[in-house]
Amino acid sequence: MKKLYALILLLFSTSAFAHDMVPTYPELRPSYLDGVMVTDLELFNKRNDVEYYEIAVFDENWNSVPFVTSYKILKLSYLDRIKFSVYIRSKDKDRAMYVCTKSRIRGESGPSTIISSMICSKFKKDF
Amino acid sequence: MLKKLLISILFLVPFSVYSADVPITGNVQSRCVITTDTPGIYGNPNAYTLTTASTDGGVQPIVRYDVTLADAYYAQITTPTSFAQSPSLSDTVTWTGSTEVSSVSDATNMGSYETNKVTFGQTTQYDLTATGSTWFKSSSTATYGGNKAFPGGSYTANVEAICVAK
Repeated sequence: MKKLYALILLLFSTSAFAHDMVPTYPELRPSYLDGVMVTDLELFNKRNDVEYYEIAVFDENWNSVPFVTSYKILKLSYLDRIKFSVYIRSKDKDRAMYVCTKSRIRGESGPSTIISSMICSKFKKDF
Repeated sequence: MLKKLLISILFLVPFSVYSADVPITGNVQSRCVITTDTPGIYGNPNAYTLTTASTDGGVQPIVRYDVTLADAYYAQITTPTSFAQSPSLSDTVTWTGSTEVSSVSDATNMGSYETNKVTFGQTTQYDLTATGSTWFKSSSTATYGGNKAFPGGSYTANVEAICVAK
């Protein structure tokens, strides 16, 4: 019973400020365009202090890899979920290692630290 | 007796029909979730120092990582090296910072996180080898050049919490 209370407390006390993205290992597949690969991801905004998330794609050394999405910065209200697609040139598919979403923080007043969050999924390489 | 039995059957049949088709669907995927547990606050123990140390009136920022797949993620936490927002500063600011494990949900399998952490610059990396929740606490101190007083105004600095799939 104690464990149940602890679990409920844990879930309710921290559900307001989380950044969540799936899948952990997205797979690139051919898109309807020649020479372009695509993958799908889903982002869930449980941070009530964040409304915008930026998408980025990196190689293994954290250099940017060119990509296309509908919006590179997603507007996502609190508790909203969005599915989005990331398109990468086929010639970059071996180079692309991580696809990340990063919270864009508003300025705060007062002497404070703010926490930006970034979640990076890793492309499956078995295609 | 037969009457009572018939009434009982009449009560039971509709319930069994209504309770038969209420599907609950779900989709579980492995994930890493970053939760901002406590945003930090800088205390101002003297004119030229801003610090999150509680002894100096600050609050240390705490971030929580929840992972549902073991040995699949790294947590990287970087303490500030500049202000995201501040008045105009004419002198340099010296930054120090560190991160440590504050609490874990599974002491047996997460007990080695702190000893196995890797630090490079202001960034601390943890290998999240177990499923569950880990709370990380950071500290940050900014000292203004030549022990000059920080100009009055609003100061904000950014702690970056990253979860990277292995």
